Amino acid sequence: MVGETLRNLLMVAWLLPLAGFAIEIFGGFWGKRTSKTAAWIAVACIGTGFLCSASALVLWGNSNGWTVLESDGHGHADAAHTEAAHPEPGHSEAADSADTAHSKQTVYSGTLYSLGKFGSLNVSLDYYIDSLTLTMFTMVTLIATCIHLFAIGYMSEELTEEYVDHHAHLSNGHHVHRPGRFYRFFAFLSLFCFSMLGLVLAGNIFQVFIFWELVGICSFLLIGFYTERKSASNAANKAFIMNRVGDFGFLIGLMVIWTYFGTFQFGPTSNADGVITDPGLFGMIHRDAAGTLLTDPVTGDVAITTVDGTPAVDGAGQSRTIPYSLLVVAGLGVFAGCIGKSAQFPLQTWLPDAMEGPTPVSALVHSATMVAAGVYLVGRFYPMFVQEVLLTIAYVGCITLFVAATIAIVATDIKKVLAYSTISQLGYMMLGLGVFGWGAGLFHLITHAFFKSLMFLCSGSVIYGCHHEQEMTKMGGLWKKMPITAFTMLVGVIAIAGLAIPGVIAFSGFHSKDAVVASALAFSDANPGHFLLFIMPLITAGITAFYMFRLWFFTFLGKPRDMHVYDHCHESPWIMTVPLLVLSVFAAFCAVGGEDGPLYQLITGDEPTHVAAGIASTQSVSGLTLPGHSAIHDVHSKAGALALFAAVSGTVIAYVLYGTTLVNLAEVKRHLSGLHSFLWNKWHFDELYDALFMKPAHIVGKFCAWVDKSLFDEILHGAARTCVIVAKWDRLFDEKLVDGFVNLLSRATWSVGDSLKVVQTGKLRQYVMFIVVGVVTLFAVLFATFPR
Amino acid sequence: MVFSKLIDDLILETTSLSLPWFSAELCLSGTIVLMLLLRLLSVDRWVPAYLIGVLGAFAALFCSWQQFAELSQAPPASTEPLVTFTGLLVQDQFSVYFRAFLALFLLLTIALTALTGIPDHEDGPDFYSLLFGATIGMMIMASANNLLMLFIGVEMASVPSYAMVGFLKGRKASSEAALKYVVYGAGAAGVMIYGISLLAGVLGTGDMSLLSERLSLAAAGGSGGLADPEVRTAALAVMLIMVGLAFKLSLVPFHFWCPDAFEGASAEVAGFLSVASKAGAFALLVRLCLALSGGVGTEGLMLAFGIALGVVACVTATFGNLAAYNQSNLKRLLAYSTIAHAGYMLMAVSAMLVMQNSGRAADFAPEIDMSIEGLLYYLAVYLFMNLGAFAVVALARNYTFSEELDSFKGLIGQAPVLCIAMMICVFSLVGLPPFGGFFAKFMIFAAALKAGQAHWFMYVVVAFGGLNTVLSLFYYIRILKTMFLDPRPEGARKVSLPLFSLEGSYVLALSLFVLMLGILPSITTGLSNTARTAAQSIVQK
Repeated sequence: MVGETLRNLLMVAWLLPLAGFAIEIFGGFWGKRTSKTAAWIAVACIGTGFLCSASALVLWGNSNGWTVLESDGHGHADAAHTEAAHPEPGHSEAADSADTAHSKQTVYSGTLYSLGKFGSLNVSLDYYIDSLTLTMFTMVTLIATCIHLFAIGYMSEELTEEYVDHHAHLSNGHHVHRPGRFYRFFAFLSLFCFSMLGLVLAGNIFQVFIFWELVGICSFLLIGFYTERKSASNAANKAFIMNRVGDFGFLIGLMVIWTYFGTFQFGPTSNADGVITDPGLFGMIHRDAAGTLLTDPVTGDVAITTVDGTPAVDGAGQSRTIPYSLLVVAGLGVFAGCIGKSAQFPLQTWLPDAMEGPTPVSALVHSATMVAAGVYLVGRFYPMFVQEVLLTIAYVGCITLFVAATIAIVATDIKKVLAYSTISQLGYMMLGLGVFGWGAGLFHLITHAFFKSLMFLCSGSVIYGCHHEQEMTKMGGLWKKMPITAFTMLVGVIAIAGLAIPGVIAFSGFHSKDAVVASALAFSDANPGHFLLFIMPLITAGITAFYMFRLWFFTFLGKPRDMHVYDHCHESPWIMTVPLLVLSVFAAFCAVGGEDGPLYQLITGDEPTHVAAGIASTQSVSGLTLPGHSAIHDVHSKAGALALFAAVSGTVIAYVLYGTTLVNLAEVKRHLSGLHSFLWNKWHFDELYDALFMKPAHIVGKFCAWVDKSLFDEILHGAARTCVIVAKWDRLFDEKLVDGFVNLLSRATWSVGDSLKVVQTGKLRQYVMFIVVGVVTLFAVLFATFPR
Repeated sequence: MVFSKLIDDLILETTSLSLPWFSAELCLSGTIVLMLLLRLLSVDRWVPAYLIGVLGAFAALFCSWQQFAELSQAPPASTEPLVTFTGLLVQDQFSVYFRAFLALFLLLTIALTALTGIPDHEDGPDFYSLLFGATIGMMIMASANNLLMLFIGVEMASVPSYAMVGFLKGRKASSEAALKYVVYGAGAAGVMIYGISLLAGVLGTGDMSLLSERLSLAAAGGSGGLADPEVRTAALAVMLIMVGLAFKLSLVPFHFWCPDAFEGASAEVAGFLSVASKAGAFALLVRLCLALSGGVGTEGLMLAFGIALGVVACVTATFGNLAAYNQSNLKRLLAYSTIAHAGYMLMAVSAMLVMQNSGRAADFAPEIDMSIEGLLYYLAVYLFMNLGAFAVVALARNYTFSEELDSFKGLIGQAPVLCIAMMICVFSLVGLPPFGGFFAKFMIFAAALKAGQAHWFMYVVVAFGGLNTVLSLFYYIRILKTMFLDPRPEGARKVSLPLFSLEGSYVLALSLFVLMLGILPSITTGLSNTARTAAQSIVQK
């Protein structure tokens, strides 16, 4: 019963935004441009979704007695994970008697709707509900509700029949005039919410892919919302195309998975009788208590197992296996998709450009939810990742977090700073997942979502208040003008910087970053060769604090740099500040208690089974040691102290440089001009890609065009000319000979018909004559021809 | 035999046997009387004549329907045909089929005249009396079993027709057409009655069921050919009777009246004449041909007779189609089309005669049935498609006051329903699938093709049939081109006929029947089974 209720609640939360989208897009098209109805519908949909999600979370907790929240401390590896093989069959609620040893059931999976069956491939819409799903649902709907409300204020300028876009110019130099698109914005937001929630609810990897693409298209639509601006449409294209690069890898991963596993489902599928027919992907890879993959004794390949963990056999009696290398390929493929979606190195360059979209979009799509989907998928698909893949994930995250943070130091556009910060924080999450800190990475995902959406909304408030001025070099001293924004922004900055007074008060970012760094430290302790995986995030923690406080000092403290901007600046209306306050509360306190607190425990409630114990190097195929909970716990305080030191250092440096006038910034900049320009140009990634891919593509394209034009076209033109010549002769033949004959024939018949008219004289006397003539003629013919 | 006994027998036979079988005709006669009586009492001011007419025609249709069911259900008690009125009329499924056919057609014609308003209220009873009278004549033609009844039937059908052609009293052309029709008809009737008297004289009987027997008696001892004076006289007599029927069928060279009469008459009358009188005449022709053939020793003669009919059919079809080419009056064009179609239908009779007298009649039994079946099917389809075409002409005339082809230019823009109906009718007249006309033509050509095995000349007939189908395309499509593609001339009278009007649904219903007779297997096979039953009833005797 619980499973059904959960499913129904989440389905309502998931489908309401879709209904909202349909109503808004059509109603708005035919409705008035100045109406706010669309926005309120969108808010109602997502708000109801939040209520559903929250009640689902409560229901779920009640059903299992909130056992997941009972902190086991660190190091008690065995009690935290409660589910071995997900006992919940497809549709039935039958409790698995074999599983009674564990605490109550926490994972529910099954099929919502079957799309079709192609051979052995069963494409369906499934659901997979565990604590992670529920947490994500609640987080997404809560943040989305706040952002929807904020957007009502932020987008109010679109409530007009004629909107003048000051950033878009026509060829004659005039601004673009167009009807307002208020309704369209909210329709897209609703569609996005639907797609994002669908992605989280998805119960199979193919369904994830579908919604993956749906959020991609929503992102495209929202980045290019100001489609008349060249920069916006370019950014939309860039985001979409770079994501396709990652999705290419995703597709390869899907192909490998389907070829070897023959299913896409995460959880087990059962038939009407409750008998499990398909163990699902997670049930097909079996690890023993030490975390070692079950292998086939003959080939050494990884064995594919049945529900009960024994090797599966195919129709021919051969045991089913997948080569270890292909398991790596599948994992890397899926991760490639995550790289694109989460803007990881080397596909990170689209995210800063995506800031061309309206600020609420940046807050919702490009910081809190969609870009986190990559991290979420890594977390969701964790059982399928082997050590090599995890190492790749860790290094990709490590590189990303450092590169992005360094660029953020020099960025002056307030949204760009936040964008690079987002990339950097996503790198942290990936790193955390990669170094076996499953809970840490996802923990950071949730906390980051709150404080980053808060900061984006604050920046939106600043931009709105400053009449669409985004350059920090023109701001300063705004503290007095917009106190609420400044205060809430400060909360966010402290949270992301990881500042805290240990033992007294700590905001969410402190806890989650601590967890990631601790995992990284434990990993590098166990594998000394990979020490960079700890050093880099530690340094970056300092950099993070530095650039975030730089941003805050630049914007809110000091003297106004541009009096024009300062004079016209004003605090935002309540509809924008209330969401800021709500989010700031969550940003500050959502992670209260740290890794013993409710949020972390909730996320890790359904942790993959092999995470808690860790994997020792002797049992690992690649020689890597993956730290378990206890190993991480041992180094936690050390890592926390180091990270806090780095953060405080960064904060102090930022204060010295930007909060006081002790240092001449221009001088510093002049001295480090080489480094500055390197960072200012974003490590020259755009130029590099331009040289590596764009230029060759252009050259190949030009060559193809040349071949097409001078070779194929010539052949075609030649053929066409020949055809014309032949056709001319054919026409001559047709017109003169065939038509002539036909015309002759028709003229002949016509004239015969015409001459027949002559007989029909209309003279009665003649007619009667014809009777006589006819009779006589017939008589003559009769005598001439009939047999005698 | 006592005279009073004779009278009693006669009365008994008449009242108990003949009159029930005559019920359809009696219904029509009663309707005539009723209509005239009601006008005498001035009731017709409240009850329009067409209403009474519809009731009468419906009653006749019902009666003949009953008779057909009775004949189909009753076991074949004897091989002797059921004759009534002391052998003057014969009752079989063939004659009842025609009776039902004519009653149905009468019903549809009355509906059309009610819609178009010709005749007006004042003239209604007169017009319908003529119409009913002609129909009774045609019914008698279909069931005639005596040469006398043959003549009476033809005349009974003809005389009211003459009057109907001239019914548009004010129009000079109408009166002229009626005059031509009368005089021409009188001439043809004279020739026919001469032939009848010769035949009855030579063979010593007017009873058609005895003709073949007497003919072979006459031929016995001689060559069985024209060298025998008795046979020669009989052949001459048959030819003269044929002239009379050819007049009714408007076969070349006795078609001269047809275009003039159709042009002068109103379209409704023209439509009636083109279908009904043709149906009656064909029934009579088939009867006469079957009555004459089958005798011993006269096969050669009758085979030649069948081929002669084939020749006439070819000439008629070709002449009709060619002459229709540059007609500018739509009714006149349709008159030539009627002539051509008479040619096609005559091919069926020709094929039947050839197969019947080939000496291998038993081998050809299914095909003989099929030729008659094809003829009956053709007539049924022709009823709808030709009436549909004339109805379109009549309905458009009520708006444009013209029946010239030019007045139909660009009609699609103003009265699409008329154009669509006309299109279906015309395509069916051409014989394009999937319309009914195609299947009708197909059956006749198939029978003729089979008859080619009996005599090579039938292949020529089929070839002519095919060629004529192509020839007919030119002028039929010209009608459609005028209606659909030509622009409506400036100042042309407006035809405002909405899709959902009584007139529109009438023509649409007719064209729908044409379509259904082509594409709906249930209706198609139903009709063709009925036609086959009727055909078998007459051939197997």
